[in-house]
Amino acid sequence: MNQQKNIRIALAGNPNSGKTSLFNALTGSHQHVGNYPGVTVEKKEGHFVHEGVRIDLLDLPGTYSLTSFSPEERIARREILDGRFDVVVVVVDSTILQRNLYLLTQVMLAGGNPILCLNMSDEARAMGQRLDLEQMERLLGFPVVETVASRKEGVPLLKDLILRAAESPVKESRLVLGERLDSAIAILSEMLEDSAPGARPPAWLASKMLEADDMTRQWVRKRLPDRLEKVDARAREMREEIEERTGLDVTTFVADRMYGYVAGLLKEVVLQPLRKDARIVSDRLDAVLCHRGLGLVFFLLAMYGLFWLTFSIGDYPMGWIETFFGWAGERISAFWPEGSDSPLRSLLVDGIIGGVGGVVVFLPNIVLLFLGLAFLEDTGYMARAAFLVDRWMHKFGLHGKSFIPMMTGFGCTIPGIMATRTLENERDRLTTMLVLPLISCGARLPIWMLLIPAFFAESYRAPMLWLIYMIGILLAAVLARLLRSTLLKGEDAPFVMELPPYRMPTLKALFQKMGERSWLYLKKAGTIILGISILLWAISYYPRPENLPVDRELAEGKIVVNNAETPENAREIARPGVEVLTTSELEHRREQEEMLQSLAGGIGRLMEPLLKPMGFDWRIGVALIGAFAAKEVFVAQMGIVFALGSEVDEESDTLRERIGASYPPLVGFSLMLFLLIATPCMATVAVTKRESGSWKWALLQFGGLTGIAWMLSVLVYQIGRLAGIGL
Amino acid sequence: MATLESTLTPALEDYLESIYLLVRERKVARVKDIAKARDVKMSSVTTAMKRLAELECIDYSRREYIELTPKGEELARRILARHDILRRFFEEVLQMSPENAEADACSMEHHLSNEGMDKLVRFFEFLGRCEESEHDFLNQFHNCRAVNPEAEICNGQCQHHHGRKHHRKIHTFRNITDLRPGESGVIALVRAKGAVRQRLLDMGFLPRAEVTLERLAPSGDPVWIRAMGFQLSLRRAEAESILLEPVGAIG
Repeated sequence: MNQQKNIRIALAGNPNSGKTSLFNALTGSHQHVGNYPGVTVEKKEGHFVHEGVRIDLLDLPGTYSLTSFSPEERIARREILDGRFDVVVVVVDSTILQRNLYLLTQVMLAGGNPILCLNMSDEARAMGQRLDLEQMERLLGFPVVETVASRKEGVPLLKDLILRAAESPVKESRLVLGERLDSAIAILSEMLEDSAPGARPPAWLASKMLEADDMTRQWVRKRLPDRLEKVDARAREMREEIEERTGLDVTTFVADRMYGYVAGLLKEVVLQPLRKDARIVSDRLDAVLCHRGLGLVFFLLAMYGLFWLTFSIGDYPMGWIETFFGWAGERISAFWPEGSDSPLRSLLVDGIIGGVGGVVVFLPNIVLLFLGLAFLEDTGYMARAAFLVDRWMHKFGLHGKSFIPMMTGFGCTIPGIMATRTLENERDRLTTMLVLPLISCGARLPIWMLLIPAFFAESYRAPMLWLIYMIGILLAAVLARLLRSTLLKGEDAPFVMELPPYRMPTLKALFQKMGERSWLYLKKAGTIILGISILLWAISYYPRPENLPVDRELAEGKIVVNNAETPENAREIARPGVEVLTTSELEHRREQEEMLQSLAGGIGRLMEPLLKPMGFDWRIGVALIGAFAAKEVFVAQMGIVFALGSEVDEESDTLRERIGASYPPLVGFSLMLFLLIATPCMATVAVTKRESGSWKWALLQFGGLTGIAWMLSVLVYQIGRLAGIGL
Repeated sequence: MATLESTLTPALEDYLESIYLLVRERKVARVKDIAKARDVKMSSVTTAMKRLAELECIDYSRREYIELTPKGEELARRILARHDILRRFFEEVLQMSPENAEADACSMEHHLSNEGMDKLVRFFEFLGRCEESEHDFLNQFHNCRAVNPEAEICNGQCQHHHGRKHHRKIHTFRNITDLRPGESGVIALVRAKGAVRQRLLDMGFLPRAEVTLERLAPSGDPVWIRAMGFQLSLRRAEAESILLEPVGAIG
């Protein structure tokens, strides 16, 4: 319709204010989720068209204020100050007006052109609150609108108001912070007046200079270097006077005045306050669910429910996906004649379908886990769970909310790492992410199932399995502590965690959250994983041997193929110097020799000097390369290198026997230790890269864990050998 | 130290003493409380605080409350000891009324030289030792009708003063974790620093706000708090930094 320029708006609000629902209600499916560079904070952008005008929307991180203590706050603050938004929609939870409006005062001071969006207004009304909106608009000097984002109520009106507010921005803030503070701000503002482009609102700078805020001082030093000294001196003078007169520290004083403004405003506009007993249901629920004694029981039940959903229910679609990729592989193979040696066929079937299948097969787990997590988060239980277990997690330098990712790690590390998104603090999040691969995941279970019976007598098997899991958990705890006191050192993030009232989330919101995160996994992790799959495929496929020893021996008559069904029959043909193989045995022999001659085989052998101190040989080396693709691939790789074919599974007694005969139990233990700790699978590396926002952490995780695994395995093997245990 | 003591005016010594007592009793000293204890205006207190901070006796960087430096604490302890000995001398030896003993101690403590003080202490100790010997000068002095017309035989009651509280009743600050689940309190001040402090201020944990301890986690940490119409959890260490107005001292 008309050709005016796009309008740019930002959504600001407290955590749990329903900001994300409003963002979804406004943008529908037109959104893009990314990361702010260098931090784990999510950046959500979107757009919508209203009356022919395109409106671009940025969803700021949820914050309680615009101070500069957390990355979220710093980002929200920078965006509001420098983002040049036409409108800043401040979304507030109508049931906690006081605290939510505090952020509004900061946006007003920061010179944003605000619209106040009273979200969850239905809830507030049901709780008996009545507001005089007209009076509110009059006092604030900008539009106020009531919304129920989850039902899109009030959203059309909000869109109208955004258009109108963008056309006629607020000229003057009606923020009144009391004579003392207002005059101090006015004096300093005058000194900081700056009309050049890229300037920040002087009132904001003034209040922050008064508070001696470091970041603001740096900004002023860069921007207005000649004024810094004078402003500093004047600010100090006024700060001292304020502190002298009020007996309050200036930061407290400013916060107190802002809360004072909010209180004054509410006095004028609240016709009827919230009923005292309005949260009675939620409170009663808490009295039971978070009971000091029973709380943990309910917590464990909730965890059990989450894993049941993720892994038991997830098993069915997982099976379908496996079947589908198997079928697809067969269909594609069918384009080539039986026994074809085409590299393209192998690339498609073993490389791409195998690789993509490896990613997609986790999708049901991930989707369901995210559904479960979204439910726990949106109902408000997540914060309570963190409250219940924080003490124990905190001992290891982790956060209460680290618990769920860690537990998820027992199923699969990938969703565990994705689940760290619920952690607000960057350091907590990275620590959890980095130690997560130590939690023995479901894909490692087949390895234990194969190796433990191969090396240990019946009565030792269960304790051995338990031991392996415990070593992983203990090591994760120790490493987390270590990380928090070295690389990720720093004051603990304040555990000032809001416990929002229980709310019933809408299905739509749950599915949206689930879909968004699952898609991220598929898209980003998928591309990296596909690349690594192809690479791994290539090194185990190339170079193609011209003629294999097994074929030579076949031609020379040293190997005879006989598919006789009875052993007696076989013996008849047996002659000295001639080996009798069945067709499938021949095939397995080929597979083994191809593998040995490939690059992967070469690397396996090259690695031998490194593997020797742990008691491993090149055969294990080759299998370990496969385990990087996915841990359970180790079993199939062992099948190939022991010429039993890649179809063996962890229940294969022949494979167990061969392994048990080839290595002493000490090597078995050292091997399990290595597999537990070393080389997180490529999907883990890819997801860590994606979630931490840099290769640095992913490579640190990969290298660090492998290094630790090597040292421990060497230590165990060498000490065991000297002591003569398990030889 | 002698030079520093000589630069401290009697008024500053009194302030230092008040801070010491407040910190000892309540864990923290606010300008407001010092003003109340000394019965002066807040602005006079802040002027004095600046002077004491210059002399490095106190840490006044956080304006809401004051902490003694090791130097300040040592000095305050010495001033207080001097005060205490004088008071006891007047009260126990000279048998003056507690009020007058206190008042005279207050005015004399600043003007006594170190030597005078030292000699007085020795004399006091000497009298105490004599009490146990046969030459009980103190007893004889007390029972001398010329000094004390109502004197009877001394029965050693003069020892009852030990461990007696200072003359002004001081209520102790509690912190949130001192509350019982379900109990409420009024915030006096937030002692936390850095990010925790800012977050708490931003959430409205300001002086005069009411908070309720709702419940504790299974291990007693963190704690669950209700305030200003919402609920949140805090680790014990953080919650302990929120001091509450003493019961009965609100208003």
